[in-house]
Amino acid sequence: MTRVRVTAPQPAARIAPNRPYHSREAAEDSDVGQVFVRSLIRSQLRLALVVASGFLLVLAAYGSMVALVPQLAQMRILGIPVNWVILGAALYPVIGLSAWLYNRSAARNEARYRDLVEEK
Amino acid sequence: MNPAVGLAAFLGVALATAAIGFYGLRISRTTGDFYVASRTVRPWWNASAIGGEYLSAASFLGVAGLILLTGTDALWFPVGYTAGYLMLLLFVAAPLRRSGAYTIPDFTEARLESKAVRRVTSLVVVAVGWLYIVPQLQGAGLTIRISTGLPSWVGSIAVVAVVCVTVVAGGMRSITFVQAFQYWLKLTALAVPAVFLLLNQAGGGSPVLAEASSNPTGLPAAGLYQTVSLLVALLFGTLGLPHVLVRFYTNPDGQSARRTTLIVLGLLSVFYLFPTASGLLGRVFAPGLARSGRPDALVLLLPGKLLGGVPGDLLSALVVAGAFAAFLSTTSGLVVSLAGVISQDHLGGSVRGFRVAALLAAAVPLAFAFTTDSMALAGSVGLVFAFTASTICPVLVLGIWWRGLSDAGAIAGMLTGAVLCGGALVSSTIIGSAAPGWIAQPAAWTVPAAFAVMVLVSRATKHRVPGTVTRLMTRLHVPERPVATERQLR
Repeated sequence: MTRVRVTAPQPAARIAPNRPYHSREAAEDSDVGQVFVRSLIRSQLRLALVVASGFLLVLAAYGSMVALVPQLAQMRILGIPVNWVILGAALYPVIGLSAWLYNRSAARNEARYRDLVEEK
Repeated sequence: MNPAVGLAAFLGVALATAAIGFYGLRISRTTGDFYVASRTVRPWWNASAIGGEYLSAASFLGVAGLILLTGTDALWFPVGYTAGYLMLLLFVAAPLRRSGAYTIPDFTEARLESKAVRRVTSLVVVAVGWLYIVPQLQGAGLTIRISTGLPSWVGSIAVVAVVCVTVVAGGMRSITFVQAFQYWLKLTALAVPAVFLLLNQAGGGSPVLAEASSNPTGLPAAGLYQTVSLLVALLFGTLGLPHVLVRFYTNPDGQSARRTTLIVLGLLSVFYLFPTASGLLGRVFAPGLARSGRPDALVLLLPGKLLGGVPGDLLSALVVAGAFAAFLSTTSGLVVSLAGVISQDHLGGSVRGFRVAALLAAAVPLAFAFTTDSMALAGSVGLVFAFTASTICPVLVLGIWWRGLSDAGAIAGMLTGAVLCGGALVSSTIIGSAAPGWIAQPAAWTVPAAFAVMVLVSRATKHRVPGTVTRLMTRLHVPERPVATERQLR
């Protein structure tokens, strides 16, 4: 077996965009290309903010439901108080659903961008 | 608890960890493997590894302990720990992967073209890492004392020793396998006893869980401010944790970084059902532990208390094994990421430098763990989240989404967050339990303050925004080609 001396790649070399983009870079540096890039970034940010605020609203709704309706602590599902079920289990599907929706829409934004760039 | 059982469980986990670590070493050949597993780890492996790394002493022991103490108020902790990953997915996962940077300081330096930013970020990252390792070691001390009767320092030293051996030997690639294994071990170790005890109690026809809402300590419920501030810390602290971020670099591209995060969310959601169940069981059947001042030991003591005999011993052994998996995986994840930062900045980035840095990264918190006394585990980890949310979170989020960020703004914001949040945490430690809520749980005002300072100073120093920003933003957000070069290389 041959021994190879290994060192970490230097940060500058790693970050320099010399990877897959050679042919695309020219297009992306052009004015039109940048319009597409900016609109992609804007739509991704808008998507992230929408999903985040939607989730936070649900979180706030669950929290205030438990705080404002103390009777929930007396009710039972399978012997477990309802306020425990709401905070301890029912929030996780909401988190997963938000993440799934976000992934789908983010991938769609990217596909739309790809179509635009490749059409040119 | 039977001391031999505890000891056997610990040795078993240590041996399994070392064995998997050495297996990883055999296939870890290049520096790329060593640092980031050559960015070719599959989403399922990677997600299990992220889960394994993230679920620390705080999740394994602390959440159940806190639920025992404060009931439904504590249920926000697991929710926040999980939802933090949602925020990570929304705001940083894919762009950060595309940046191609390996550590957070790499990213900030590249984004802002500034060595000074790099140095400040490195300092913050190392501080966060060290603060986060300390509770892991204290948890190890607690576990070894409860399960074997040996003094606490034995547990802390044992964890540091195993971590150093695996990290120094195998680097990132072997750590990925180790972490993935440890996620499933932790899940089993909490799920089996919780399900078993629940069935056992339900079958016995006891007035199941009727007293769950009773309050064994008489502690007052947390106010609205406390809960909101805690959630701010947990939601926005996760996306700045150095050991979590480093994991995303092992994904092949931005899309798979997102897919991995989705799987992680699933794994975390399943996991957190069980500390919650244990906490609930503890509230009904072992409220005495809350008053004895050792609620963090609840998960460890519950099987013995409710079952006793051989089944109790076996379940206890499983729990102790899971607890050590938690300390080992989080500590090694942190040590790997800290070693990455320290070695790149000060030791030339060689494999040897990485190893020296790893030893350094583990030794310092060990000293801290000896000199400080442990507080509630979930609580002290929550404070670390508040600190990351006030320092690293703003620089990452603004760096990824806002072209106007300047190096001066980033430094000013991080320092503001560090001073305000650090100051609040130190003074609340000094004042003790009499500290007012806004000092004890500072995230709700320190995070906005850090963001505000970062934006305002950047606006005032517009001329310092680097000229490369357009190109970098393109790099961060534009999807990779369907077949990326790196895959062909593989």
